[in-house]
Order: sequence, then structure tokens, then C-alpha cells
Amino acid sequence: MKRFFASDFFYDFMRSPVALVSFLIVLFLILSAVFAGVLAPTNPFDAASLNLMNGFTPPMEPNLFTGDVFWMGTDDQGRDLFSAILYGLRISLFVGAMAVALATVMGVLLGLIAGYMGGWLDNLIMRFADIQMTFPSILVAMLIFGVARGILPPELRDEMAITVLIVSIGLSEWVPFARTVRGSTLVEKEKEYIAAARLIGLNRWQIMIRHILPNVLNPVLVIATITLALAIIAEATLSFLGVGAPRTEPSLGTLIRVGQDFLFSGEWWILLFPASTLLALALSVNLFGDWLRDKLNPRLK
Amino acid sequence: MSFITAKNLTRRYDLSDPWIVRQLTFRPKRFLTAVNDVSFSVEKGTTYALVGESGSGKSTIAKMAVGLLAPSAGTITLDNHNLNDPNLSPQNQQAMRRRIQMVFQSPYASLNPRWRVGDILAEPIQSFDLIQGAKNQAKRVDELLEQVGLSPSDAKKYPHEFSGGQRQRISIARALSSQPEVIICDEPTSALDVSVQAQVLNLLKSLQKEFSLTYLFITHDLAVVSSVANRIGVLNKGALVEEASPKELFTNPKQDYTRMLLNAAPKML
Amino acid sequence: MTQPLLEVKNISVEFKTRGGALKAVDDLSIDVQPGEILGLVGESGAGKSMMGAAILGLIDPPGRLSNGEIWFKGRRIDQNPETLRGCEISMIFQDPLVSLNPLKKIGDQLVETILRHKQMSRAQAIDRARKGLIEVGIDPERLNAYPHTFSGGMRQRVVIALALAPEPSLIIADEPTTALDVSVQAQILELLKKLCRGRGTSIILITHDMGVISETADRVGVLYAGRLAEIGSTNQVLRSSKHPYTQGLVASTPKIDPSSFGQSLYQIPGSMPKLDAIPTGCAFHPRCTQGIKKCSQERPPMMKNTAACWLLEETRQGI
Repeated sequence: MKRFFASDFFYDFMRSPVALVSFLIVLFLILSAVFAGVLAPTNPFDAASLNLMNGFTPPMEPNLFTGDVFWMGTDDQGRDLFSAILYGLRISLFVGAMAVALATVMGVLLGLIAGYMGGWLDNLIMRFADIQMTFPSILVAMLIFGVARGILPPELRDEMAITVLIVSIGLSEWVPFARTVRGSTLVEKEKEYIAAARLIGLNRWQIMIRHILPNVLNPVLVIATITLALAIIAEATLSFLGVGAPRTEPSLGTLIRVGQDFLFSGEWWILLFPASTLLALALSVNLFGDWLRDKLNPRLK
Repeated sequence: MSFITAKNLTRRYDLSDPWIVRQLTFRPKRFLTAVNDVSFSVEKGTTYALVGESGSGKSTIAKMAVGLLAPSAGTITLDNHNLNDPNLSPQNQQAMRRRIQMVFQSPYASLNPRWRVGDILAEPIQSFDLIQGAKNQAKRVDELLEQVGLSPSDAKKYPHEFSGGQRQRISIARALSSQPEVIICDEPTSALDVSVQAQVLNLLKSLQKEFSLTYLFITHDLAVVSSVANRIGVLNKGALVEEASPKELFTNPKQDYTRMLLNAAPKML
Repeated sequence: MTQPLLEVKNISVEFKTRGGALKAVDDLSIDVQPGEILGLVGESGAGKSMMGAAILGLIDPPGRLSNGEIWFKGRRIDQNPETLRGCEISMIFQDPLVSLNPLKKIGDQLVETILRHKQMSRAQAIDRARKGLIEVGIDPERLNAYPHTFSGGMRQRVVIALALAPEPSLIIADEPTTALDVSVQAQILELLKKLCRGRGTSIILITHDMGVISETADRVGVLYAGRLAEIGSTNQVLRSSKHPYTQGLVASTPKIDPSSFGQSLYQIPGSMPKLDAIPTGCAFHPRCTQGIKKCSQERPPMMKNTAACWLLEETRQGI
């Protein structure tokens, strides 16, 4: 740990305003989401606690009927927007992180296999990847989502919504991981330490996991960070389109959809606050990912 | 008694165009013969040097000797056992692998950069199941490090913390860890500076004496060969053109190619 | 004595790092006479490539030429070396694969170089390019060929033609034959020698191979840890080396010599120090078998224009 703080990486990190600010924003948002239970004044998912009379209250103004004040106003059903955003952040982050994890594991494994084993297996995996890449990932996610929805019985649909979201977004994002890992694997495969491993009788899986994997993971962190931003936006998009998180457990995307309906009737806050939060999150993750990529680039001769 | 025997060793690569292209253009199949009917024998405890320029096939022969590549024809055997025999059981294959190891050319690519040196050296011990118990294995690792002139405290370091010459020593230690009888040295000093090269060559020599090792030494440098080899084989484009002791080869080369190589080698005053 | 073509005076090349400034070249002075082949020999990390790059101002940040002056034909050039680059001073690099633009025909690359430095019509330049190719032993019909159709040795010949095209007074050749086979190496060195003698072009030949120096260079400088350890005629430096490092280097070079069969090579103990751990005093003293007390305290200056070694000091007591 101490070695990390003394390293060149940390040194550069402390000196880059972009890295610091974006990292802090992401950290702030993550902590807000984690401690939503503590920070939020109300529980927006509990339908029983909602008071319809509180609906459409502007931010920081007392409600005409109940006199309650809400920092960011309320939506059409009287939900406190501030609380809704905190809980919505949770869903956005959770879905994003789990989807990225799924994409990473799947992509890295497939990339390793394709690169090391070569032959028809490599061809199969890469053509599969090519085909998938011709479709926009949102479409792929919707397709998988639709199929899953069709398979699941109606009672489970809302409960499983989050899981299905994770699986569909994850499955649509594995390709960059696989391609990059495959490329690095092809390079590492030719190096003499792999020949040395073969000389002591290790089988293919042992070589792939023990020897090649640690050496191809470098770019994976960067791709994962950027994919996280994509996954968050993807989830928001799906929710916005109505096929993601339901209204009862709204994510940021769902809130934006609601807000959009009311924008032109004057209740601007229902759109503005969730949208700004989403923007801040996605932008910060993206910027940090970009900085990471430049920093981790093998620039040393 | 010949310990390593190569008999009519041949390796061909198929460089033909795909079938469709060949049908349309009426071109025949094209083959590259990297190694062409090479035969030689190495006595136990001696060093046989294979000398040639790039494309001579010397690295290909090294790979076939150690079982990384299968010959297209012919055999290369160790103590009359054929490593490339497809009928060998896995246990026999492992037993064979233990007896013959390799030191590679590049000090940078021959050690896994993410592994600690101690783990790199312990891996063959574990894979061949030579010593049980982590403590005993660690002791053996320390022993190996000292044998190549490094210290036990180097076991926790990573390869990039060492210089090129030190990394080659680690490679040699790794080759020694299975207590082999034969070590194939594939241009082990070509990437090293002159003064470091001298250290590594001297180390290889003393280890050979200590452990009665047999070396197949691959190189392109005739001068290096004169101080390490008992016998030299000259390769040209896959064929063995001349074979002699160093003295004979340098004072009385019989083939034009050998003479050309000797003339071209930069001479010190 | 004629005025030297190139005078390098006390240059240092520094790299700024978190830990401080590291000196890749430390207070180095050397001359190149017109028409001579000067060898710069040293092991990796000795600073010889840095020297070559410094002359042409090719040091990229975080490195920089931190000290000293470079004079060429009586003019100071370290402030603005770009004007001379490629024109009066040419460079040949080690790897012919990357020295040539793979997307351009070699004829185009030659003509481009000629036209950049000489005033003439395109047709004249093409003619010059053809003559250049003939000089280096390549069929001029191959003007329209791409680099990948040439073998390594042929490519290096093209690179030499490129370097000679602007008719420079000095060529800096950085390990020009290291990536080539031995037989090709001999041809390339012969070619370089012949062409440069013929035109009176000087060469700085940077290499780690003593054999190459022995066959090609008139004078040679030995570098160690960024400092010049010894300088003199090739014969002198290789046969009767004064600096213990040079002696060790020569002794540990394997030779094709019937009398050296089966013997162990001499080896210099230890290894070249890293840039951040250069010993005080003489950089070689920890590995030197002949060192005296002064060696660990003060850095020796160049003595009698031969070697930077306290053992050569005239005032030393006893012999």
C-alpha cells in the first residue's frame, strides 16, 4: 500500500486536476449512493409514504398544501427528488458495476482462449464478436432484454428487472475486452517464458491462467472504466425508454423519463436534477478513464 | 557413446497459397525447408555448437531437440529416447522433459515479468514434483540462486529489477532446477554486452563441469564458440555443411561457406 | 594539425527525474578530424548513443543537453542543430526496418532527401539517386521498389545511400551492422569505409562490438558510464590499452584464435553502474583490480590525451 502512495502513478495523479476532480466526483457520488439510506430524508420506494398532495413542489419552496420543503422538489407522485436521486444512483451504479464485471470476465476469458488456442475456436469467437459489433450495443441490450422478458413469467418481471438489465448490458459490452486481450495474448504467446512453461509440462489452461493472464490485464482496467461509463448510460437509456428500471424502483434514467414529460409544463426540476447527476457521473467516469489510459500507456522505452 | 543423436532431421513449412488460389492461378504448393536432413551426434558431458546465420535453421533444430516443435522427418533423440514420439505416455513425456531444458536468447522475454524470481525457479520443481513442501522448495531455490552467482535475497525480486546478465543467470538457474542432463543453449549471450557475456559463458562452463552437463550450444558468433565448444557444426540454409573440432575448423576449413564465415567475422588486432 | 571537423567540448546530457538529475553523458570532450573514422565503443548504458544524438540535437525531453558546446567546422552548433541535420551531418540508425518509410518507394525517399538539401531539378535529382544506388551496390532499376522487398543488408545499403545523398561532411552511424548477419556486416562495413575514404567524409561509428572497431575505425574512444575512459588510435587502444576498463574489455572479448581454445574468458567483475548509482571518483573503481586510493575520491581527468585514469598520473610515487 505504501509503495502505491510513493509510486510515480500516485504522484502524477495528485498533480493532474482532471484526474483528481473526476475521481473525487465519482467517489462522492458512490458514497452518496452507498449511504443513501442515511442521507435521504425519505424512502422514495415506499409507496405508502408518498403524499400525492406533495406532488409538483418546486425545490426549496414550501408545499402549498402540506408545507413540507424538499431540497430538489418532488415529482408528480409526491416523491422527494433528492431521495429518489440518491436511491436511483444506487441502482445506476450497481447495474453499471455488475454489468462491467460480467463483461470483463466474459471478454477476458474469451480473448485468452481465442488468442492462445487459435484455429477454428479463435475464428468462431472473433466472428461472433464481429457480428455483435455491427449492432449498436443498446440494440443488443434491448434484444437480450426483450428475450429475457419474454421467457420470464409476468410476476417475476419487475423483480428480475435489475438482473436482466445487468445481464443484457454485460453481454453487449464484452467485445472490446476480448479483442484487446486476444491481441496481447498473441504477443505474449510468442515470448520465451511461455516456451519455458511448456518445457516443464504445463497444460494449456495452466499456461493461460498462470502466465498469460497476469500479463494481459494492463489495458483491462482502462477498458473497464470506460465501459462503466457506457454501462451507466446504457442503463439510463434503457430505463428512459421504459424497458429498464421500473417506476417503483426508479434509476436515474427512469427519473429523466418522468421529468421529460413535465418539462414543458413548467416543472423543470424533475428533469434537471436527475439529468445533471447522471451527466456528472458519466462524465467523471469517462474523464478518469481517459486519464488512466494515457497514464498507463507503456511510454517507457 | 552418443548422448544426443540427430538422424536425418528435417523440418518443412507449408507456405502454399490457399487451395482456391492455387486452383485459379495454377501455382504449385510451396514449401520452406528450414532444416534439411541434418545428422549429428553429441557425446555425454561435451558441448556441441551449432553455428549459422539467420535462416540457417539452428533455432529450429534447438526447438525440435527440446520437444517444442515436431520434425517433419527424421528424429532427434536423447539417450535413445525420442521426445517427439506421439506414442509417449504423459508420464514418460514429463520424465523426458525433466532431463532436457533450455536457456533462451532474450533475457527480457524469457522470464515472466509478473512473477517473482523465487516463484519462477520454484515452478519447475513443483511441476516435476521433485521436492515436496514449501520450505524445502524455498531452500532449493536459494541453493540454485547461489549456484549461478546470485543471492537468496534475490528470490523476492521481480525480473525487471535485474540487469540482462543477471536475468540470464536466473534463466540458467531455472534450467538447472529440474536437475537436467542436457541444456540447449539458444544464443544465450547474443543479447548481452561483452563483459557480461564473458561472465555468463564462464558460468556455463563451470556448471557443466560441476554437474556433468551436456550442452547443445546455438550461436551465430564463431568467436564465442571457440572458447566453449568441443565440436562445431556449421549450418547453411538448413543443411549441415561442415563438422569439426574448433581447432580443425579454424585452421583448416574445408567448405567455402565456412571459409566465408571465418573471413567475415570481425577480427581483433 | 588541421582544424578538427567536429569539436565536442565538455557536454553533458541530463535526464530530469523525480529523484534528481541523471547524467547519461557526463562532461565528455572529443574531436573528429576531417576524413577519419572515429569509433565510439561502450557497453549498453555507456552513453554512446546519447552522444550521437546530442550532436544532432536529437535528445527528447525529459533529457537535454545541459552543458558544454559543440563546434562544427569552426561554428557553434549546439544551439540550433536543425540546420545541419541531414545536410552536413547525416545519421544512420541500427534497424533498417524502421529507418525507411515502408509506404514510400526508395526512389522517392532518395529524391526527397536530395531535393531538400540541394538545388536542382527533379530529373537531376532522380539521376543522382540512381548514381547513389549504384555506388552502394544496388541495381538502379530498383528505384521504384518498396523497402519491404529488400533484405536487411540491402536495406541498410539504401539507408547509407540516403545518408550520403546530401553529401555530408560527417556521418553518425549508430550500430549500423548490429542487426545484420556476420557476412552482410562485413560487406556493409567495407562499403562504408570505401565510400567515406573516397569522399573524405568522416564517420562516427558507434558500436559495442570491438571487432567492428578493430576492422573499421582509425581512432577509437571508449565510453564507460557516460564518461570517456580512453581515446587513441585503434592500434594503441586495442593492443596497448591504458585504462583498466579497456584492458578488461579487450581481454574478455572472445577471439577466433587457435591458442585460446577451451580456456575461460577473462571477466571483469561486477557490472556497469546504473545512472542513479554512479560511484564517486572514477566510475570504474569498484570493479578495477588496479585501483589506488585516489580513484574512489576524485574523478580522474583525461591524462596525456589517452586515458582518464589516476594510474597515468606522472607524479605517482614509485612504479
